[in-house]
Amino acid sequence: MAELEAGSISMAAGGGGRLRNALSGMLCAFALLLIGVLAFSIRLFSVIKYESVIHEFDPYFNYRVTQFLSKSGIYEFWNWFDDRTWYPLGRVIGGTVYPGLTLTAGTIWWLLNSLNIPLSVETVCVFTAPIFSANASWATYLLTKEAKGHGAGLMAATILAMVPSYISRSVAGSYDNEAVAIFALIFTFYLYVKTLNTGSLFYATLNALSYFYMVCSWGGYTFIINLIPMHVLLCIVTGRYSSRLYVAYAPLVVLGTLLAALVPVVGFNAVLTSEHFASFLVFIILHVVALVYYIKGLLTPRLFKVAMTFVLTVGLALCLAVVAILAALVASSPTKGWSGRSLSLLDPTYASKYIPIIASVSEHQPPTWPSYFMAINVLAFLVPAGIISCFLPLSDASSFLVLYLVTSVYFSGVMVRLMLVLAPAVCILSGIALSEAFNVLTRSMKFQRPISDDTLPTAGDSTPGSSSTATITTSTKNANIKKEKMGTISKERSSKKSRKETELVGSSPVRPEKEEKLCVLPSEASAMGILFLIMLCGLYVIHCVWAAAEAYSAPSIVLTSRSHDGLHVYDDFRESYAWLRHNTEVDDKVASWWDYGYQTTAMANRTVIVDNNTWNNTHIATVGTAMSSPEKGAWEIFNSLDVKYVLVVFGGLIGYPSDDINKFLWMVRIGGGEFPHIKEQDYLRDGNYRVDAQGTPTMLNCLMYKLCYYRFAETDGKGFDRARRYEIGRKHFKLTHFEEVFTTQHWMVRIYKLKPQKNRVRGKLKLKLKSSSKTSLMRKGAGKKNPWQ
Amino acid sequence: SPLILFPCLLTTVLSFPRRSPPPDPHPPIAMAISPRLLLPLLLAAAAASAFAGANDLVGELQSLRSRSPAGVIHLTDTSVTRFLSSPAPRPYSVLVFFDATSLHSKTDLHLPQLRREFALLSASFHANNPDSSDLFFADIEFSESQHSFSQFGVNSLPHVRLIRPEHSRLADSEQMDQSHFSRLADSMVEFVEARTGLEVGPIVRPPLVSRNQMILLGLLFLISIPFGIKRIMEGDTLLHDRKLWMAGALFVYFFSVSGGMYGIIRHTPMFITDREDPNKLVFFYQGSGMQLGAEGFAVGFLYTLVGLMIAVVTHLLVKVESLQTQRFAMLAVMAIGWWAVRKVIYLDNWKTGYGIHTFWPSSWR
Repeated sequence: MAELEAGSISMAAGGGGRLRNALSGMLCAFALLLIGVLAFSIRLFSVIKYESVIHEFDPYFNYRVTQFLSKSGIYEFWNWFDDRTWYPLGRVIGGTVYPGLTLTAGTIWWLLNSLNIPLSVETVCVFTAPIFSANASWATYLLTKEAKGHGAGLMAATILAMVPSYISRSVAGSYDNEAVAIFALIFTFYLYVKTLNTGSLFYATLNALSYFYMVCSWGGYTFIINLIPMHVLLCIVTGRYSSRLYVAYAPLVVLGTLLAALVPVVGFNAVLTSEHFASFLVFIILHVVALVYYIKGLLTPRLFKVAMTFVLTVGLALCLAVVAILAALVASSPTKGWSGRSLSLLDPTYASKYIPIIASVSEHQPPTWPSYFMAINVLAFLVPAGIISCFLPLSDASSFLVLYLVTSVYFSGVMVRLMLVLAPAVCILSGIALSEAFNVLTRSMKFQRPISDDTLPTAGDSTPGSSSTATITTSTKNANIKKEKMGTISKERSSKKSRKETELVGSSPVRPEKEEKLCVLPSEASAMGILFLIMLCGLYVIHCVWAAAEAYSAPSIVLTSRSHDGLHVYDDFRESYAWLRHNTEVDDKVASWWDYGYQTTAMANRTVIVDNNTWNNTHIATVGTAMSSPEKGAWEIFNSLDVKYVLVVFGGLIGYPSDDINKFLWMVRIGGGEFPHIKEQDYLRDGNYRVDAQGTPTMLNCLMYKLCYYRFAETDGKGFDRARRYEIGRKHFKLTHFEEVFTTQHWMVRIYKLKPQKNRVRGKLKLKLKSSSKTSLMRKGAGKKNPWQ
Repeated sequence: SPLILFPCLLTTVLSFPRRSPPPDPHPPIAMAISPRLLLPLLLAAAAASAFAGANDLVGELQSLRSRSPAGVIHLTDTSVTRFLSSPAPRPYSVLVFFDATSLHSKTDLHLPQLRREFALLSASFHANNPDSSDLFFADIEFSESQHSFSQFGVNSLPHVRLIRPEHSRLADSEQMDQSHFSRLADSMVEFVEARTGLEVGPIVRPPLVSRNQMILLGLLFLISIPFGIKRIMEGDTLLHDRKLWMAGALFVYFFSVSGGMYGIIRHTPMFITDREDPNKLVFFYQGSGMQLGAEGFAVGFLYTLVGLMIAVVTHLLVKVESLQTQRFAMLAVMAIGWWAVRKVIYLDNWKTGYGIHTFWPSSWR
């Protein structure tokens, strides 16, 4: 809470002499420094509790790309064709990746190394996210300061530094695009609002550059390029057009679009896809409006009316023509120019109906109310107050904040992942709400004291007990003092205001209005109120620290579980990847479900068939089909893809719930989407995927079942699956086309090798008949049961 | 789940009096022919009549179809016997939707909606296969065709059955299961395509507004633009009313944080009845993966309430003259706020089971 106090102090002290200004500036800077330290250090739980390691799935890919970048240089990176993934198709990395994160970390690494600080690429990658969280909280300070002053800014920055929703994507080791993108997002918004307040072309240019950085970093940049036009339109419609608005918007569209087109992964999409059309439309409208205002300034009111009709007709005609062209363009593309993800935002039920691969990702599900409480905690209580504060008074900046909140809260309702975009808005608005509440309450305590006002009273000095008695007994006497006070305050305010206005040329008209009378509350109640608010903040801090330490620090590559006999560590993933790296040929192909593609390429350095960049649905469906086919069919599919090893993740022995059997429904669903001979009904018993005795024959005969449960009954004799909590259906069987080569300590990862094709010998049939070995009989039997043949 | 066993329906079906079988539509034609020729002629005639009969039936069905809205033929007891009880290899399949007007008011069965989707399926099939006589769509109503309901053995709704050419007994026909209602017409298509091997083609949904209405709306919009712009320039529209914007923003916030979108996407009900005690309603669902409508809105209300109260204190209450009013109002606000925050924290812990705890230095313990 140190920052909070500093915030209110700096607010209170802001008005005095130069010394006081300098002091408040220093305090503010110090508070910001502390906020940065807080934002950085709260994200280190993962390193302390586990180790300095890259987390989860996508970060491994980013890490691998960064390694390549640091080894081969930027030009090689730009032209990198990766043949280790999506075999046999490969993937053009340079042109399909958002390079912002990689370039940032690469630059940091290069800078440190040229300063002779020999950090490894991995270390830099691990700590990129915490560093940028500190940046993000400073950017939040700047943005909020533009709308509501220093106090609110500091409060918002403090809150953002530890908001769980943001921590979840930016703990140390979570080396993903969002880590830098949220900073870029807030900073772009800050520069936009700054330009809007100042009308300076310098900031407008910076804004375009910042937007460029955002486009480099994350696909979420489309949120910016739709939100800002919406705000511009809102300003125009509510009669808030000004030249500052023009300066803030027009350069952003022109420069921003040009710069965005430079990023290979965006390219001509910056002008061709529907996500960007809103900005162009608003660009045109803005020009029409600007012209109208210009002419209005030139002409007399009567002439203006004539001209107005003329301009309206011409402008409308132009607009209509453009709209018609845009509509034709949009209608000509099959998805109406929108990408699937954007469409599912506009029509929330879209993804669940048409795109299983988007609907299958858990972070694309709609959140429930506990998700909000987990992600923003008590801030949810404060935001409505923040919204109302932004309307009293409404300025360009505060209307932007409200618009940002409203759009992002709607989007977050559709997709839990976008809670991340909501977090800054929530922090800013609750920062404003808290700051206003503290402001009112501390003011109430400060100004009801019947003491002369030479001393500089701060919130800390006033003792509630004495002030309350004083107020009650001398309330009539106070009137005079109050008036005096009011005079000084309004003087302070006005001097501050005039100074501000000389700074901000043609600043927006709305500034804190002069107070008619001193607005205070009873001081003892205010003291209680402050206490309550501090308790609320305390709850927030407790929740955030808990979330950072317990909920979001697990790297998911190493698992731990705490039981009565102590801590267990499951390091099976790295064990299996290390086995692959050391025991297989460099060019061997490994097939697994797409979730493990990035990790396999990064940690085992082996070629994979599909990975987490789900760009080719057919290829994924092929792997899904193989996994849901019986052994022979699967072997044929894998063999045709040159696969040597198949990797499955199995949680039945230790009760790890997110294993391949639980993901199996998506393999069937995605596979069946492309290859109709895979039918979901064949795997379902009463609408459920079951692998116990009630499981369907197709289910108990498919490759995924066999690879997961091969020899499983030998472990406890019964084959009790701890992840699904029942005994499996088929316990003893042999593999005909695959052989087990490696199973990790806790059986979490099992690796199988494809058996080589049998030589075609003459008289094989006779031999077989003679030997009549058990295995061949078994195979024949299995083949007959097989519904596919 | 929309499938609800309906005891009253079952009993009505069982207690229905048996009707005499309807007259045979094809009386024997070889009456007046001498007995010597009888056997070969009879054989030939029987074959011919069966063939011609089948053709007749197809023709009849086609004409019925062309007269029915969306091509869904309305069946009654007589027509069921006529079209579906004919000897086994019929040249057509029929997909029958079992409807009951009396149950349309039961919202959890979604009968009218499913009936509309069924019509859509039928219309799309005919649009994509204009002359097909392989598959017909039909519906049948409970109150007028109770006999057929019992013949099919249907005792719960919603119910859709496919009678394939080779089904000789009505009860043998294949029932479309629940999973195929889930995505309405789109999933029904999958069922039809999987079981009949016929291509249904894309579902053609009628646009919300017809083309002419669209043009009219477009024209109205174009005409209104200049007036709108004039009003906006003058600055006296609803858009300039800040209170409206504020209320809108607050509402969107309230709706989103209460998980309203979850309800829309997942079609969750406001509340459910308790499994053990059907008279008890469950408003709060334990488990973080799912929420009911009512609990979401209740918590959303608490979120918004506290925020609004803080705003009232900081912006409205400060302007009140009377100290006493201020004091009481603040006390009330703090009490309610305290209660609301506690309530939400309690509910969250109860629902998710997270044990949120502090991290004190270990020496303090």
